Amino acid sequence: MPLPPGDAEMLTTACDYCAVACGYRVYRWPVGRQGGPRAAENALGLDFPLRNDDPARPMPWVSPAQHNVVTYRGRAHHVIVIADWEARAVNLRGNHSMRGGTLAQKCYNPQTATRERLTQPMIRVNGKLTPVSWDLALDAMAHISKHVLAEHGEHAWAVKAYSYQYFENTYAITKLALTGIGTPAFAPHDKCANTNDATGLDDAGIDSFSASFEDWGACDVLLMSGVDPFVTKTTLFTGWIMRGANPHKKLIFVTPHKTMGVAWGLKQGGLWLPIVPGTDTILHNALARIIIENGWQDQEFIDRWIASTWEVDSGYGRGTRNTGWQWRTTWGAWQSDWPDYRKFILAQDEHKLENAARITGLRAEDIYRCAELIARPRSDGSRPKSSFMLEKGNYWSNNYMNSASFAALGLICGAGNRPGRVISRGGGHQRGMVNAGGASGWLSPEKYPGRRKKALNLDRWLMDGKLRFAWVFGTTWVSAMAGSAALRGAIERLTRENPHQITSLDRGALFETLSQRVDSGGMVLVDSDIYPVEPLGTQFADILLPAATWGEEDFSRCNSERRLRLYSKFYDAPGEAKPDWWAVQAFARKMGYGAHYGWKTGSDVFEEAARFSRGTVLDYAGLVAEAKKRGVPGHELLRSLGTTGIQTPIRVSDGQLAGTKRLHDPENQWGPTESTDLRRPFLYAFNTHSGKALLLKSPWRFPGWIEFYQAIRPRPEKGEIWVTNGRVDETWQSGFDDCRKPFTAGRGPHPLIFVNPADAAPQGIESGDRVLVRNDAVYVQTGMPQGVLETDLGFDSLLRNGHIRVTQAEFEAIAIVTADIREGVAKANFNFPGAAANSVVHAVPDPLTNNYRYKLGRGVLIRLGESPHKRSFSVLTLKPRAVI
Amino acid sequence: MKHERMRQAADTEREPAACMSRREFLLTGGLAASIVALGALPGLAGAATGLYALRAEYPRLRVGSISTLKEGIAHTFDYPYPGVTNILAKLGTPAGGGIGTGNDIVAFNTLCTHLGGDLSKAYKPEHQLLGPCPRHLTTFDLTRHGMVVTGHATESLPQIVLEAGGDDIYAVGVMGLIYGFAGNLQG
Repeated sequence: MPLPPGDAEMLTTACDYCAVACGYRVYRWPVGRQGGPRAAENALGLDFPLRNDDPARPMPWVSPAQHNVVTYRGRAHHVIVIADWEARAVNLRGNHSMRGGTLAQKCYNPQTATRERLTQPMIRVNGKLTPVSWDLALDAMAHISKHVLAEHGEHAWAVKAYSYQYFENTYAITKLALTGIGTPAFAPHDKCANTNDATGLDDAGIDSFSASFEDWGACDVLLMSGVDPFVTKTTLFTGWIMRGANPHKKLIFVTPHKTMGVAWGLKQGGLWLPIVPGTDTILHNALARIIIENGWQDQEFIDRWIASTWEVDSGYGRGTRNTGWQWRTTWGAWQSDWPDYRKFILAQDEHKLENAARITGLRAEDIYRCAELIARPRSDGSRPKSSFMLEKGNYWSNNYMNSASFAALGLICGAGNRPGRVISRGGGHQRGMVNAGGASGWLSPEKYPGRRKKALNLDRWLMDGKLRFAWVFGTTWVSAMAGSAALRGAIERLTRENPHQITSLDRGALFETLSQRVDSGGMVLVDSDIYPVEPLGTQFADILLPAATWGEEDFSRCNSERRLRLYSKFYDAPGEAKPDWWAVQAFARKMGYGAHYGWKTGSDVFEEAARFSRGTVLDYAGLVAEAKKRGVPGHELLRSLGTTGIQTPIRVSDGQLAGTKRLHDPENQWGPTESTDLRRPFLYAFNTHSGKALLLKSPWRFPGWIEFYQAIRPRPEKGEIWVTNGRVDETWQSGFDDCRKPFTAGRGPHPLIFVNPADAAPQGIESGDRVLVRNDAVYVQTGMPQGVLETDLGFDSLLRNGHIRVTQAEFEAIAIVTADIREGVAKANFNFPGAAANSVVHAVPDPLTNNYRYKLGRGVLIRLGESPHKRSFSVLTLKPRAVI
Repeated sequence: MKHERMRQAADTEREPAACMSRREFLLTGGLAASIVALGALPGLAGAATGLYALRAEYPRLRVGSISTLKEGIAHTFDYPYPGVTNILAKLGTPAGGGIGTGNDIVAFNTLCTHLGGDLSKAYKPEHQLLGPCPRHLTTFDLTRHGMVVTGHATESLPQIVLEAGGDDIYAVGVMGLIYGFAGNLQG
């Protein structure tokens, strides 16, 4: 391993991947020399080999996967990318995951598989991607966009984009889509509509990222729903949850799959609740019932912080009866104050312990033990400090009800706004969205029963043939969505199967072909990405734009505790790749919007976007104001904060930048403001009009849920089981980097499916076998039904009115047979290229939120034969992953 | 010590990128070591195809005898330097690089390649695993050249290359970079 010489340059950054965003250091020096193993001979200032006799001592070992050779200012340079072993936040003592630990290998180096990066704009001519100039690609886009806007309207012009890939890019993209073009046809990467994530939390008044990592470390009991942070938020688990202020905390996991974090939690005296998919609401309400029956609720907290009937109705400032849940037109069925919630919890039959145990598939004694752990006061009357974390297993099973009932459970246990007592998401991606706003959402043709507008479902809009132009930024639109086979078919029909295909790069001919395409009902597809994504980039897109990414430009964003850092550029982007904000700006100028898109640097975008962060939980306007005062670019002031960064919202206190550890905490009453920040009540109270949290009732028999659930459950007569999906720790997202990182690829990233022995045996499936998963009834909602009557958007009404199409789908994966997964449930790794586990999931969104219920797939498992890796010694371990 | 290139399993269609960049390290580092291709992974276009490890060779050292090894019980020994601890185990199931009639005798370094945790007491004979590491729970598969099963390490667990000489077991080399080292040949 080459060590950095003493004069190597050092820059700071943070990990590109999960929501934790560990701090990293990059050392860079020209190829041709290197440092030596003695401390005086290397930039790390350490003697090699390192001796790790003190676990508390930071140890910046450089593994081979942490080195690469890149081009910087046209010249070959060594880089090593290592976790910051002196970090004062996030990843203390240089802790890291295997994803972040291999960041160096993601860098473009033509000697590695990263040579597949897109390096220049391309247009598909006669079916073949052909390099063109940025000028021609953007001209073609602008020409067809003007035509589409003039002839088909802004509704026919769409953007599908990541929500997280840095403030500079998301701001530019939303400015273009929602303000410049003003289209309602916009959806972030993991959702089919521009809508909330954990919607029930929002409606309760709890920000999804109100917690700090310190809180997850300081609690006595941590209930984690639909997540094992060991796998998906690794250093949050290994650094804060296993350790933190209280390393003896009890961990409770609600998930059908026992992964390593679950196994460790059990060893520490915790609890594993391997729940039947989709039944979390029943569990939450049954736990509430046990707590209420025993009087274990935190009455003092409830009396102070739970909204009364009058406070519930005091609205969002749009008048009474206009709070979030009312906006979703639940017609009062969900409204509650403490006495009403208590009555509801005690009245429903499903909440009785024996009934809940039957529905959730859990043991009654485990449910009871869970209630004791999270709420039962100790003999001295003190309460356990309980915290509540949820992620996709929870709110992507039943978006609204699971998250609303989870929030209510946490609140009655006294959590939500105190140290070690928090309710938050664990986080998936980092928080990289600054939304430029615009009111184009009001143009959505979707509507709840009543008069209320609902965000447009972009997938359905496309499948219904309403789109003429779509620009995709850095997302696997097809495989990431539910019912993905049907979506793929629709995109293929609108693009590749349209008779009007590009045959010439002559401008006139090119523009004419694209116009004929859209006027004949087809769609022009543009894909901005770092690699040619399957199938959008490889097969369907007419124009591919090469994006510059992590390490290739200065970027900024927050992690899941709202910690804002600068992600430094440290090497040259390949070829003509440009950051997406640059492509947006260049396009906007072609469209004639130039006056509003005059950025010269990423910091210019960062500074402009700050204004749109004001008053939000990611408010960094104070930092930019301070930078202007000091006469430095915003990026440079942020860079000076290194891997520590600062937690938003940012304010100025005693002349210094000050961050916000926790939201909703009454301790955040800071007095008069010194800077430009907008002081929002959510800093020191819950995010409701009254500042008090709302208890929502979440009735199991709500038609918008129960009709769907009954329709999509596995059919025993067909031999189906639940086929859910989730991450495995060695694969990030669609594996776009993992398949190209030598170390990770060497482990053999493959689509895996974890199967219980009882489900595997009848099919003769063994670990290492290839398995086909088939669902012959994948429901896909069609048309754009507008709710008029209360039940119009329920599954039964949609089916009756011809808005449910029955499709078929299948995907292949390699089996790992293990008792660690609940019987009757198989889990495939999510969004793996070429093996879309989401294809067996129904594209019928939660009518309350327009979010898919991604975790509720089903199918039969069919053994296809042995994979080549079943008996290999060198690729793809098939060992159980939760041996402790 | 010598340079060599060795393939233990099926050939690959093209030389993986991992090999190139690691060889580059080796050349720039001046190490007397080699790259070992441990297998092939078809079907992933453009991806590296199989696990590769850096192999360094050292003087032979007798580390145990075949007849006294028992399944389920791991022995420790230092190699290639004093204080560098490894385990020697008879797995009872064939393993990559395993010796003996059952190809099941293997040895691995016991420093976790994540952050250097001590794995010497973490042998799980039932599953042929080493781990989880007491520090952050990384676990390694001893049947597959120390590949990470779950966890955070960015290198497989370094495998001690063994040879049998009659009943004697000799350590002759190390595949992979031992935690804390900048090069296996740099003491």
